[in-house]
Amino acid sequence: MTQPGDDLEDIRAAREARGPVLRKSPGPTAWFDIRRTRTGHWAFSLNRLSSLGLVAYLYLHLAVLSLLLGGENSWHSFLKLATTPLFLGFDVLLIFGLLFHGLNGLRVALVGSGVAADRQKALFWSLMIFGAILLLGATLHIAGSG
Amino acid sequence: MTDTREMAETGLRRSRTWKATASSGAALLVLVTVHMIAHHFVVEEVGGLRTYAQVLDYISNPIMFAIEILFLVVVTTHAMLGLRSVLFDFGLSTRAKRLVARGLLALGIVTVAYGVTLIGVLAAKA
Repeated sequence: MTQPGDDLEDIRAAREARGPVLRKSPGPTAWFDIRRTRTGHWAFSLNRLSSLGLVAYLYLHLAVLSLLLGGENSWHSFLKLATTPLFLGFDVLLIFGLLFHGLNGLRVALVGSGVAADRQKALFWSLMIFGAILLLGATLHIAGSG
Repeated sequence: MTDTREMAETGLRRSRTWKATASSGAALLVLVTVHMIAHHFVVEEVGGLRTYAQVLDYISNPIMFAIEILFLVVVTTHAMLGLRSVLFDFGLSTRAKRLVARGLLALGIVTVAYGVTLIGVLAAKA
């Protein structure tokens, strides 16, 4: 039985297709290399860091939602803690992470697909300005509810 | 020749992984927006969080139930693919990469299974 990828023609076609630049990985220590000042480097590093933060949040979120299994009192105790100014501040940090990771990821996907590949810096800053406006709106909404 | 073929296959796998990451990421742009608005921006309570009764009411809606399950599956897929990329940045050997990929697949399955069970139990309580 032929396995996907067995055909060298398929492999060659896939390599020539639009997509990520295949290069040797720089390694995590390079994420914090302050000698690199290019926007793309910092966008990549912050994307990696935000991804780790969001994965940690995914499991924290599942743990918090498990409190619902304990009944109404258990959930009410969490709500009292979650509506303190410190936790509302964490909400803003979470929204920053989601917006940065999502919008930068959108840029990476568009550029990798060949869309605006020669204008990626302009695309990055346009999306970041859009994200900053959304973050401001979300922060005002959260602050207004607290 | 074997090296060339191995490199080509690695390139194909990377390309497939990239496509899967980009596709799940695109789906998440929609699903996260729906999730955040539904949970944090339409509720009047402080912090936009639902009360216990409101959570059960929300999750008992079949459409919301299906959307939350889909969100869980897509977000876990995207998270595991992202973790895989980060861990592969450490320059692992082929064997270690295989182990990491299998470990993350197992973690993803456990995560989705737990999440589906949690949502199912809460929906049944409503």
